[in-house]
Amino acid sequence: MKSLAYILKRLLLMVPTFAIVMVIIFLLVRMLPGDPAIAIAGDKASDADLAAIRERLGLTEPLLVQFWLFLTNTLQGDLGRSIMLKAPTLGVILDRLPTTAFLTLYAVTLSLLIAGPLAFVAALNRGRWPDAAIRAVFQVGLSMPVFYIGLILLTFLAARARLFPVGGIGHGFVENLHQLFLPAMTIALYTSAIVMRNLRAAIIEVLDADYVQFARAKGLSSRLILGRHVLRNALISTVTLLGLSIGNLMSGTLVTETVFAVPGVGRLMLEAIFARDYPLIQGLTLTFAILVSAVFLLTDLVQSWLDPRMRLT
Amino acid sequence: MSDVTLPLPESRSRLALALRRPGFLMGAAIIGLSTLLALFPWLFAPYDPNFIDYTAVGQPPSAAHPFGTDMLGRDALSRVIWAYRINMQMAILATIFALLIGVTVGALVGYYRGVADMVFGRFVDAIITFPFLVLVIAVVAVLGPGLINMYIAITLVGWVYYARLMRAEVIGQMGNDYAAAGLVMGYSDRRIIFRHLLPNAITPVIVYWMTDMALAILLGSSLGYLGLGAQPPQSEWGVLIAEGRNFITTAWWLSLMPGIAIVLTGLGFSLLGDAMADLLRPRG
Amino acid sequence: MNTRRIASALALAAVLGTPAFAQDRGGILNFARYDGSQLVDPIYADRNPDIWMVASLFDTLLRLGADGKSVEPGLAESHEMSADGRTVTLKLRSGLTFADGSPLTGADVIFSLDRARNGDLSSWAGLIGSIDKVTADGDMITIALKTPDPTILTMLATFNTAIVSKAAFDAAPGATDQEKSAAIFAKGGPGVGSGPFYLCGFEQGATMDFCANKGYWRQGADGKPLPYLDGVHFQVIPDDATRILKLQAGEVDVAEFVPFARVAELQADEKLNMELFPSTRIIYSPINVRATRADGSPNPLADVRVRQALNYATDKAALIGLVLHGAGKPMSSPLMAAATQDSIDMSPLYGYDIEKAKALIAEAGLPAGTKITFTTLAGSADDATIFAALQQMWAPLGIDLVVEQVDGPTRGAKNRSGEFDIHTYGWVNDVNDASQVVGWLGHTPTANAVGTGWEDATFNSLYEAAQTEMDPAKRADEFAQMQKIYAEAAPLLFMYETPFAVAVSKQVSGYVQTPLGANVFEEATVSR
Repeated sequence: MKSLAYILKRLLLMVPTFAIVMVIIFLLVRMLPGDPAIAIAGDKASDADLAAIRERLGLTEPLLVQFWLFLTNTLQGDLGRSIMLKAPTLGVILDRLPTTAFLTLYAVTLSLLIAGPLAFVAALNRGRWPDAAIRAVFQVGLSMPVFYIGLILLTFLAARARLFPVGGIGHGFVENLHQLFLPAMTIALYTSAIVMRNLRAAIIEVLDADYVQFARAKGLSSRLILGRHVLRNALISTVTLLGLSIGNLMSGTLVTETVFAVPGVGRLMLEAIFARDYPLIQGLTLTFAILVSAVFLLTDLVQSWLDPRMRLT
Repeated sequence: MSDVTLPLPESRSRLALALRRPGFLMGAAIIGLSTLLALFPWLFAPYDPNFIDYTAVGQPPSAAHPFGTDMLGRDALSRVIWAYRINMQMAILATIFALLIGVTVGALVGYYRGVADMVFGRFVDAIITFPFLVLVIAVVAVLGPGLINMYIAITLVGWVYYARLMRAEVIGQMGNDYAAAGLVMGYSDRRIIFRHLLPNAITPVIVYWMTDMALAILLGSSLGYLGLGAQPPQSEWGVLIAEGRNFITTAWWLSLMPGIAIVLTGLGFSLLGDAMADLLRPRG
Repeated sequence: MNTRRIASALALAAVLGTPAFAQDRGGILNFARYDGSQLVDPIYADRNPDIWMVASLFDTLLRLGADGKSVEPGLAESHEMSADGRTVTLKLRSGLTFADGSPLTGADVIFSLDRARNGDLSSWAGLIGSIDKVTADGDMITIALKTPDPTILTMLATFNTAIVSKAAFDAAPGATDQEKSAAIFAKGGPGVGSGPFYLCGFEQGATMDFCANKGYWRQGADGKPLPYLDGVHFQVIPDDATRILKLQAGEVDVAEFVPFARVAELQADEKLNMELFPSTRIIYSPINVRATRADGSPNPLADVRVRQALNYATDKAALIGLVLHGAGKPMSSPLMAAATQDSIDMSPLYGYDIEKAKALIAEAGLPAGTKITFTTLAGSADDATIFAALQQMWAPLGIDLVVEQVDGPTRGAKNRSGEFDIHTYGWVNDVNDASQVVGWLGHTPTANAVGTGWEDATFNSLYEAAQTEMDPAKRADEFAQMQKIYAEAAPLLFMYETPFAVAVSKQVSGYVQTPLGANVFEEATVSR
């Protein structure tokens, strides 16, 4: 019951937030320079054609009416038609979304696989050389732009060593594990640096905590301590961090999908921007907003499930 | 009691300790050198970075051109050096206005709370609902690609993060005795905010600022690479990497060198930021 | 069947079936594209990635000859133009079918041409505006014209008049023709076109698959139906570098739109053929010739001598060296690419002559330090290079060239409103006839002479006369006069022509890109 009330409260708070989100998206797109009609009909269209298109899109209506149309259409799942793709925006986005979701989850998995063990090694050797070495390497990783990491992996592992395909996607889960390894790794190398740093701190905090010291004094094996206390706490802090980093992950896919020619929503966003595809920019921005808040909500729930003390916030 | 005694966050020995850390020394050295290159590029660059020489196109590194020449015959080393101007400028210009606006708004809503704070809260929720890059790119799309517009876009989105941090700090400080004491003593709001709350609450904001400067360089070069930030023929590391991208198998140095510049500068800011965080972090 | 029997069966087949030489057949060609198709339909194709694929899926009544200038039989085995130039009669081949085996009849031709000339549906309807009525009697098709139209035969060999299946459109779900077309395309399959291939797979923005039409009417060198390939698999890889890396890694067989900077490198690659297909693509820059600029200040570019000076001061060879790395040539006609019908060779068109340029500037009395704005596309590396080069080349004339970077639609809006000095632009013919490009560049009522505001009464009346002139020689002469007038007036910065640069694996032969850009896979083969 308690958690149900919590979920309800969280959902309720999302209403005003999304009202603001809708206003921001609407205003952004309305302020885009260049005439949407020219973007649709091209440079060679006649003035009469352009006027007809403006009329059809409702661009001649007052701003408030336009906003109302945008709001009601969106709530009915009508995001308009993409200009460059000549198809309903919603369908286009739903087509591309699985690829990006796969890439993101793949990247998260890889970053946990990289950061997890290294964080333990670093934390258990705190202040000694393995700790220093691991932290130094990740520090450099954090100073690299995502596109540069991607380019380096692309050049050495794909173009030279031919270990992985250069770009694009394959068919099916297994093929894509291979095909999307480099893009996922690109995002993971960046994310794992953050995860590692956070996880190391969390583990150290637990190791230093009174109850762990006490358990040690009682003679509990370190494996048991690690398993029972450290892992649990490390998990909570990592879930929180990853949940809150969803925006960063999405930003990462934007760049990575472009570098590796992965046809997901990230690359679509950039293509839409360059093509001035107003409905698509609108739809994609909204999609990103929904995704991020869904993950935030999920993070909250998982967190409160893992750690009942936090439910009061 | 003439005034409320402020807690001193640092002591001399702590400062001395922090300054002797190798991380700090390295960070300071990198940023110092980068600043020099940014301020006086002509002292270091052997050629005019924009001079086209179509008799010397795509040359490999040599004594005359240590980083080779690009596909228009421009000296790659000179372009990397002149890019320090733009990229170092990014660290400042993409963050300073966000910092100023954010600190002001954050301090005000944190101090007064009420309706403004509630509206602010929803607004922050809405902004952090967008992936940072998505929102920045969307704003750049509105304003048009280019450096100035990129600064405006990053500021428009970025100030929210400073404001959120500042607000939380101010609310935390309000709980402290000295702020309460200030209220009891009947000081003006302005005096309490600017003399008492701000100096104490600003520390984490400054620490965040240092990391943010490193992020600004990464973000700026990413936008440059994507064609939304600095525009060719301007020399900017992201643009230089994008220009060299086509020749990554044949003339890899064209994109490698600006990349190293990004990593070094980013590292410098991070190291300085870490040192600053250690220095300013409250004891306990 | 045991191995020996297989072996003997193969040997027998080899003896009985092998023609004079072994023709490579079968296999899938992997093709990396710079941009994906959205809707490949003869009348809705309005972007190049769509237009250039139409002919692979849909056949036209007539075909363009290999030289790109003559017209050959297509679905129609013969055609005849009446003496008064107002009726075209065509005879369809017998036994024509769509790719699913259903018959292609006169009803399909009427349906397709009516659709193509319906201005509410097709943005290309104006190109065949002369058609009054299309009728069919068995295999005989009669096209009645309102006025004599010298371009009509060319138009019947152009993508927008390709034949679609009426039955497929009748059966498709959707209220409007466009919805039906989209539904047919989304579903794919062999029922709608009679081209050498049919669509058999499509993932928007990612991949597209063509499968061979086994019943195609054209025959290959081995006497069996074209195409030789089993199919084509397209991948959309917008990034130039990645596209080429995929080719070099052997993941694809063809990479189109190779950046010119990399042509030399790929020419040296022994596993590749670096093809430079001649094109009708021209790169030029419209110059605003209006007496005043948009802000009301006097426009120095209104003086023809200044425009001529800019053209003389532009070293085309250097520009081609920088932007195209030598893989291009200066424009030889001011109005069209050399590959276009009726182009005349005026080369050197404003050959580089800095002294003449300086003299013209002095004569025009242009003050030193005159500021001229050059509008480019933000994010375009070529535009950035062109600007940097022109800035350096025009500095000796005392011109201070400043750059203004905008996006595509903004550049289009500026072109319409005249709020520019000079801006970059490009053109590829959609139709193999001079009238389309000449109308766009010079005929004031059509597009304000590509936004320059240039107007010449003689030019306009010559253009209008050429629209109905049935005598090819007279028409050619009219176009020649227009080209001379246009060159003299220089409302453009005449720059260069670029080929289509396509890198093809040595395993592939017979792939062609036409001067209009169309991708032709009919006679392509791949040997693995």
